[in-house]
Amino acid sequence: MASLITCPHCGTRPKEEFSIRGAAAPKRPSPAAKDEVWHRYVYIRDNPKGRILEYWHHVAGCRRWLVVDRDNFTHEVFGVMDASDFERARVVE
Amino acid sequence: MPINLLHRHVLEDHISGFETNANPNHLSVIRRPVIFSVLAHAGYEAAVAEALRKADDIASRYCNPSEFLAVSQTAGAGSVAEFLTAIPGASFVDQSDGFVLMAISGPSVRSILSKCLAVDLHPDTFGEGHSAAMMCCHVAANVARTGPNAFELLVPRSFAGSVFDELMEAGRAHALTRGFAD
Ligand SMILES: [Zn+2]
Repeated sequence: MASLITCPHCGTRPKEEFSIRGAAAPKRPSPAAKDEVWHRYVYIRDNPKGRILEYWHHVAGCRRWLVVDRDNFTHEVFGVMDASDFERARVVE
Repeated sequence: MPINLLHRHVLEDHISGFETNANPNHLSVIRRPVIFSVLAHAGYEAAVAEALRKADDIASRYCNPSEFLAVSQTAGAGSVAEFLTAIPGASFVDQSDGFVLMAISGPSVRSILSKCLAVDLHPDTFGEGHSAAMMCCHVAANVARTGPNAFELLVPRSFAGSVFDELMEAGRAHALTRGFAD
């Protein structure tokens, strides 16, 4: 259930402790990128039904940004990691 | 004209009047604890956590991997600051006036807290010495287990009255009493 999120720093917590920012998959373009690229990043977003990566902020807990891998249809949570680890893994890719 | 500054605890008005002896379930408010917020620099997280854990009269409260609260009921702010200065890779700031420290204990403590918290406090998952930041009475608080039936709560000063009232309400069925620690 997505109403319980297991924070890697705090343990299992109710969703009320979090604030959700949005999709974590789109990669922010470089500041010098073309307007079309920025337009695509800011406005052209997928609206998937199923498994998604999202930024969640643990407001009432560790106050860290997390990346939650969950299914927005079944509410199943597959994994939660710190956003800094997520970014680091993405840079390596 | 000289101004005399008086220290007045924020919960003073909540604890005034008729005072009974403490029941087995008791909430005690610590009048003037020393509370420092400690931030570990990148790469020093484990070393700072370890240094705080080993400190004699300072209790370390976990907030996140790089943030802790150093709490002392016995040491003065000066000596705590001195201790923290000596830890490599740590930055700190005195938050004593920003937090209120409450200790709640008794045989029904978990039933009382379960009305205010949405976190599993079973000793298997939240054992003695464990601490974490969590929502308590709709306020971002830091909760620590200090004994089998004893917990300490740190709440932001401006929300302390609301949390205190809600805790007392939750404890009414368990004859929870309250008072200042001294
Ligand atoms: Zn957390």
